[in-house]
Parts: sequence; C-alpha cells; structure tokens
Amino acid sequence: MDDQHDADCGCQEYNELSRRQFITASAGVSAAAFFPAWLPKIVMSKHYASSRDIIVSVFMRGGADGLSLCAPFADPNYYASRTTIAIPRPDSADPKTKGIDLDGFFMFPQAMAGLAPAFTLKDLLVVHATGQLNNSRSHFDAQRYMEVGKPVDPALVTGWLGRHLATMPPLKATAPLRALGVGNGLQKTLVGAPKTLPIADPANYSIGGAAATAAQRLAFMKTDFAGAEEPLHSAALDATNTVDLLKTVNFAGYKTANSAVYPNTSFGRALRSVAVLIKADVGIEAAQVDVGGWDTHSAQNPINGSMFNTMTDFSNSLAAFYADVIATGASVTVVAVSEFGRNVRENGSNGTDHGRGTVMFAMGKGIAGGRVLTKNWPGLARENLESGQDLKVTMDHRDILSEIVKNRLGNPNLDMVFPSWTPTMMGVTR
Amino acid sequence: MRIRTPANAVPAPSVRPESESDAEEQPAIGAQDGERGERKSRRSFVVFGALAAASLLPKTARAQAKSRQRKPSEPKAKDEFAILGPNENVAAFSEWAGSASRLVRRATLGVTAAEMTRATQMGYQGYLNYQLNHTRIDDSALETDIAAKWPLLSQSSDVLFSADANQARIQLQEGTIYRAAFSQRQLFERMVEFWSDHFNQDMDKVGYLLISDLRDVVRKNALGKFPDLLKASAHSPSMMLYLDQNASRVGAPNQNYAREIMELHTLGVDGGYTQDDVAELSRVLTGWTFSGRGTFTFDPARHDWKAKTVLGVTIPAGSPSLGAAGINEGEQMLDLLVNHPSTARFIATKMLKWLLTPTPSATQISTVAAAYRATGGDIKAMIRVILNDTWLAAAPMKLKRPFHFLVSSMRSTHPTVVTMTTLNGQLGNLGQSLFSWDTPDGYPDKIEYWAGNIVPRWGFGTVMSNLNSTTTITVDTTAYRAGSPDAAVDLIDQNFFGGEMPLVTRTALLTYIKGGTFNDARVRETIGLAISANAFQWY
Repeated sequence: MDDQHDADCGCQEYNELSRRQFITASAGVSAAAFFPAWLPKIVMSKHYASSRDIIVSVFMRGGADGLSLCAPFADPNYYASRTTIAIPRPDSADPKTKGIDLDGFFMFPQAMAGLAPAFTLKDLLVVHATGQLNNSRSHFDAQRYMEVGKPVDPALVTGWLGRHLATMPPLKATAPLRALGVGNGLQKTLVGAPKTLPIADPANYSIGGAAATAAQRLAFMKTDFAGAEEPLHSAALDATNTVDLLKTVNFAGYKTANSAVYPNTSFGRALRSVAVLIKADVGIEAAQVDVGGWDTHSAQNPINGSMFNTMTDFSNSLAAFYADVIATGASVTVVAVSEFGRNVRENGSNGTDHGRGTVMFAMGKGIAGGRVLTKNWPGLARENLESGQDLKVTMDHRDILSEIVKNRLGNPNLDMVFPSWTPTMMGVTR
Repeated sequence: MRIRTPANAVPAPSVRPESESDAEEQPAIGAQDGERGERKSRRSFVVFGALAAASLLPKTARAQAKSRQRKPSEPKAKDEFAILGPNENVAAFSEWAGSASRLVRRATLGVTAAEMTRATQMGYQGYLNYQLNHTRIDDSALETDIAAKWPLLSQSSDVLFSADANQARIQLQEGTIYRAAFSQRQLFERMVEFWSDHFNQDMDKVGYLLISDLRDVVRKNALGKFPDLLKASAHSPSMMLYLDQNASRVGAPNQNYAREIMELHTLGVDGGYTQDDVAELSRVLTGWTFSGRGTFTFDPARHDWKAKTVLGVTIPAGSPSLGAAGINEGEQMLDLLVNHPSTARFIATKMLKWLLTPTPSATQISTVAAAYRATGGDIKAMIRVILNDTWLAAAPMKLKRPFHFLVSSMRSTHPTVVTMTTLNGQLGNLGQSLFSWDTPDGYPDKIEYWAGNIVPRWGFGTVMSNLNSTTTITVDTTAYRAGSPDAAVDLIDQNFFGGEMPLVTRTALLTYIKGGTFNDARVRETIGLAISANAFQWY
C-alpha cells in the first residue's frame, strides 16, 4: 500500500522494533508513549516458516449434528437410535435420499454431495468423534472454550487464531489488514489479532457521502480517533487504512476459477468475499466465517427439510471455495468446527438435543484428506456413549488445529496458540 | 449467524480505583495450567506483561501508575495471555465532569440539550427519581403517534395472526426505534432494551408472537419485579415457541427451554445446576405450551407425572387425575429459581454491566444482589443502588451498541419523521437489526465485539446528517446555519454532548467546518462527523 500507512505500520522492522522496545519497556511504562498503538498486542515468534497457508476458519454455530453430516451407516446402532431422521443407507433405492458412501462405514448425506469431489481428490478430511474435552452443553460456554482454545479460564480472553496472528510477523509486511471476521462484530476466535476487523460486506466498505470531501472526512477520523483509547484507537486506524485498501479491490467484477458458483447465501457470499481478498493478494492471512442453523432441537430433517438446507448451503459454499481457490493450488487451508454434537437418540420432536462428540473438517492441498479420521471409534451402543446418550469425544479439536497451525501456518509456538495443551498429532497434514 | 459472547457472570476484576494495582498483580490463572511443565522463552512475555498491563489500565489509573516507582515485575509464568485482550475499562473524557450529565448519559439513550437542562435543574437524585417514577411521566402524545404510525403494535395475537408477517416485523422494529428515541421515559426504555436481550427471541422463528411478548411481558415489567417478569416470560407463547417448549411432552421432553431458563434467564451458567437438573426440569415443564393463535395452555395430557428432582428439590409423583393442577409443579420451580441466590447474583451482575461498568467489583455485585434479595427482586431498588453518584463517578465509559448509537443520533438531531424505513435499514447496516439475533443470549454488550465495526458508523453519520426529504424524514439544519461556523459547533456541543464536547473533537470539527464554504452541505457533513466522532461512540 501507499506510504501513508507507514507511520503506523512500521512492518519492515517489525520484529526488531518489537524486541528492542520490549527491552526498553522494562525500564518504565513511559515507553508506551512511542509505541505504535497496536504493538502492545504483538509478541513475536523467534522461529517461523517463511511460506505458509492462509487460513479460513469456519464456525458452525449451534452444535452441528455430526451423525447427519457424516453418518456411520455401518454402525448397527445408528438406525436404531434415529427412527425418523437417519440418512438412508448408500445401497438404498432412492437416489435422491440415499447416502454417499465414503469408506464403507461412513457416508455423506445427499445434502453434502457438493463436498464429495474434494473428498475423492483427497483434499478434504473429515474428523469424527471430535470436539472438546470440557463437557459443557451450553452453546455459549462451549463456543467460547473452543474459540479461546482453552476451556474454563476466565482470564484468557483472546482467541486461538488471534494469538496465532499476534505471534507471527505479517505475511505481507505492509498489509493494513491481516485478518477479517466476516460479520458485524468480531468473533472471539480472532480477538487479540493485530490489524484485524469485523467486516460484514467487504465490497461495500466506505464512509459514503460526497466523493469530493471523502478524503477530508477520512482525515477527520484519523485526527479525532488518534487519541482514542484502545480498542477503538486501533480499530479506527485499521479501518481508515482498510477503506483505502478495499476500494482498490474489484469485488463486483470478480471472475471465479473453474466456473465455481457461490450460493447466494450469507455463507456463500462470505466465502466469495474471502476468495476475492485472497486472490487480490493484499496480505490477508486469516478469515473467520460463521454459518448458523445447526441447533436442531425439533424438525431436524436432514433428508429433505431444515437441516438438509443448512448442510446444502454449507457444502455448496465450501465446494465453490474449493473449486475457486484450493483447486487452483493456492496455499489456503480451511477448517470447520462446531461447539458440540447432538444426542445420538433423537428426541420426541424429530430433533436432537445438545450432545458431545461431532465432526470437524479440514480442507486444502496440504491436508491429508480423502478419509474419515477416527481414533478408536467408540460406536453408538448405549454402553459406549457418554452419559449414556452421546458420541464420545475421542480427539480434542486442539489436536487437529495444532498440527495445522504448526505445519500449514508455520507457527511452531503452539504453547502460545493453545496454552496448557500438549497436542497429539494425528497426521492431518501432508 | 453471529458470534455469541457468553453472558456468564464471571467474577471480574474490580473497577477503579482497585484495578490500578490488580492489573499487574493478578494471581496465577487457571489451575489447569499445571498440566504442562514450565515453558521456555518466557522472557519477552514477562517483560511485555508489565507494559501491556499498564496499557490496559484506565487513563487516570495509568497516570497514577506512571508516577509511582515500581520494582520490576516478578516473573509470573501464568498470566501472560490474560493481558492480550482488549481494554474494557476506558476512562471517561476529562470534559465529562458533571455528575448530572453523567447520569443523563447512563440513564437515557442519548443526550439532548433539553434533557441536560432538566437534569441540572432537578439535581442528580431528583433526576434519577424522575426517571424511575416512569409512570408519572406523560408519554401519551408519543403513544398516540405510535398507535397511528404502527397500528399492529397494539393488536392482539388473534388479529396479528392474519396480518402480513413482514409488516409485523417492520412495525415492531420501527416502532421500537422511534419509541426509544422520543419517549420521555428514557430509563424505562433503557431497561426495555436490556430485558429484550435478556429474554431474546428471534422474530424469524416466533413471528408476530413477539409483539405481544415485548408488550405484555417485557414492557409491562421492565421496571417492576424480576420474579413477575420471569414468570410472565415463562407463560409467553412466543418464548414457548422460540425455545421449543411447545414441542416438549411426556416421554419426549425437549430440554431447550429448561436449559436456557436456568443458564440465561435466572441462575447463570455457573449458578450451580447440572445436566441432570436440565433434564429433570424439562420433565417438570412438560405440558407447558400454547394453543390457538397464541394463548398459554397447560396440557395435562402432555405432562410427565412421575417424580422429579430439580436442584435438590423433589417433586413427588402426581397423577393425571390432578389435571390442570399439574402446572403447579412448574410454578413451584419458577419460585425456586427466582428465589435462588445465584439468580440474585446473576441479575445483579448483568444489570451492573448494563448500567454501570463492564467489570463490576465483587463488592458491587454482592451489594446489588443483596438489594435483589431484600426487595424480592425489585428492579427499581437495584437501579437505585447501581446508579449511585459515587459508583458512577468512578465508572469507565461504555461503548454504545448500534441501537443505542442510532437512537442517540436521533435524539440529538431530532428529525421530523414521516417514515422510519431508512433508519431501520441503517440499523441493519450497523449490525443490530432488531429482533434478528437468533440465539437466546441476545446481542452482545462487549466492547471486543463491537469496537472493530467502526466504518458502518462513519457511513451512518453521513446518511443521518443528510436526511432531508419531507416525504420521509428530515433533519432540520436551519439553526446550525443561522450564525457563524463557531456557533454551529457550539450548537453541536449542546445537542450532541450536553456542553461537554471533548476539546479534541471541537478542534477537529472547527477545522472541518471552516475548511470549506459555510453552507448546508458543509454543515451537514460537520454534523455527520460529530456523529462519527470518537466521543459520540461512548456513554
């Protein structure tokens, strides 16, 4: 970007600067006076890979039913537990409803057909019976624990992806925006990340009004917010630079690769915007995208109703992103998690209440995909369920994410990204 | 869908002045940290810790901290991550010195010149009493206006059933914004907003039923007694539908409402209930549903009559012959919940965060919780404790949420409204389309969530100040253009900041308004910048 950002970026000497000033800082807090506003958030990693993937992190909010997203048709208790909402076996008659066999044991429902090619090409990994070790069935606690990357610690308020970014130098030294959360507010996963903003619609990111006075008005913002307290100071500074950045990106005229078509849904539009930004090469390193509709207490219907629609949107949007971005060989990894799964047995409302183990997804050329990764699949027999009702959590989500952070995002400082956690590497990357 | 920030009542660090020493001397966090051995390379974290901790202090505390001689921080291996989060305690502008104006900012949805005059004349306590005795404030002209503009809001569910669903949504959204802006009962409206989030429901799921819920549950009890409010909500068809209570029946209980009434409405997630309590309460509540177009019903045929135990209280087995009396099991449980000490603490903490500070101290929480217990959950009594002059003088600023921000700009500009279409759409752009938050925790009230969403606010300032259509909505700028540019900025100061505009904003606005021809376009841009300014984002 142009040099007007330099005063507040200083990225060229980012690493050195921060170290020098950390040392200076120990002499007294007055050092804060000459700190760029965002620097207190930064702790540099000493060792990091020079090339690394961009990450797109998806949160499936509401507690996604892993037994519909990737159903174990060969587990004898699956059909017994789900009398009205089970996905029909792959060898059943109706091509519109029968499952898509993945490995002789698990299947995708038809709603997930969009992701079958990525799976076949071994770029999509499904992890099953995963989740988090803490057994909260509160959406809000469980989401917080996953996004923070550590359960039950009220003092830890930053997100795991925020800490990853805070401990790595920028991928592009002059980037005014390193990460975005698609949405109106910043997701907790990204809290703590430098140069990171929530942006609901990157294609329309401006302050409006008369073009003739736009620069003058933007200058007012820079002056007026210069003395603002954090976190508004950094937000305003990053925002003014990002307004300048995004007006250089052509969203409307974007042509997808491989004839990819993004669904015109909030999730599809979000992934399209992220794809545009990645290809514009403006230095975006991470995007957090949310997709909702998974809290299926009643009328779940994964075959042709409510959850069918939710899964179809999920898979078709990610399939478009796969074709448009990943299939072109771009260094991008996608992960998708949910806070918990649902009860194995359906409830009396043709739905499922809050459960435990579920699936997560990882997708990219650096992912060892084409399989459903399990660790001693516990099965759905009642005696093997947690509390007699739920699929057990056999792998913590941090095990999967740690390997991706280390091998795909080039950040070896896992103790900063996932404090107090010793990951078990499961071979999820190539 | 959007992020949810947990509403759990974590005992937070205390407010100033206590926090000036807390920030760097917090005890080690999280016993579970012990699961790993000591790590290498802590040095930069530790050094960094001392600095960043200081940067998280409020301005005044930081100033005091600077003036003290301190020993270098002791290495504290466990607290390095705690300091990386956003600052929640932002000290107020030094210009925000008056106690009456401080109360106006907290007790209303935005400063106006008239409200500042009123508060100054009445004095701090007088103005608080005035706002708390909301039924004595005459709002009849506004209600007549609203009844004409948005007639569906006063209709029964039987009538609303046949109304256009989109019209119902739009009328509820527009009427809510308009009333919040122009009601004289401003503290009441602040609490209506609070309880609307506390008992949040998504209109996508509940439709027109939300109109009667907000009218007959929330507005009826917003400054009443919490137990009445909670019980009214538990009998609300809208809430039944939203949290699947109407789908719950014997043999097939649905746990959705039973969980959220404890987690979000009463005890709080750390309030001492278990998953078994959720399951048992869901059985107690079987049969609670609604019929027709929105009438609460207890259906004995759907009720589970076997014995249950919730929170240690056992309900003995009943019999279908008891019929309608089976509802008493649930009523007994509601009494148990509203009288539970965890509920007093949870509601006290959440109200403190809403009205006073994002980080209430343990003392503040226990004091307000005591008021809850002493008065049977009297909301006014709790507010009297929370909004005392001493606590408020020491409280940090809070960031306006988009609704508050938009409504406050309406109060300051006082547009002539024919239609609210533009402003209702703008609230969506700002990220808080009303009654559209789909999870039961309600819109977040966390600075970390909203702080980055600043560009839509700047864009809104442009839109708001340029409203100039007699057929839809008009902001009249005549008075701003009547005198000099200096006089125009003075008038902005009165209308937007109650005479307490920070100097930095005044200087920047004067520079801007004098940087071009003094005409309507320049005046409107300057008003737009006042709305966009840092100082207008806070209260």
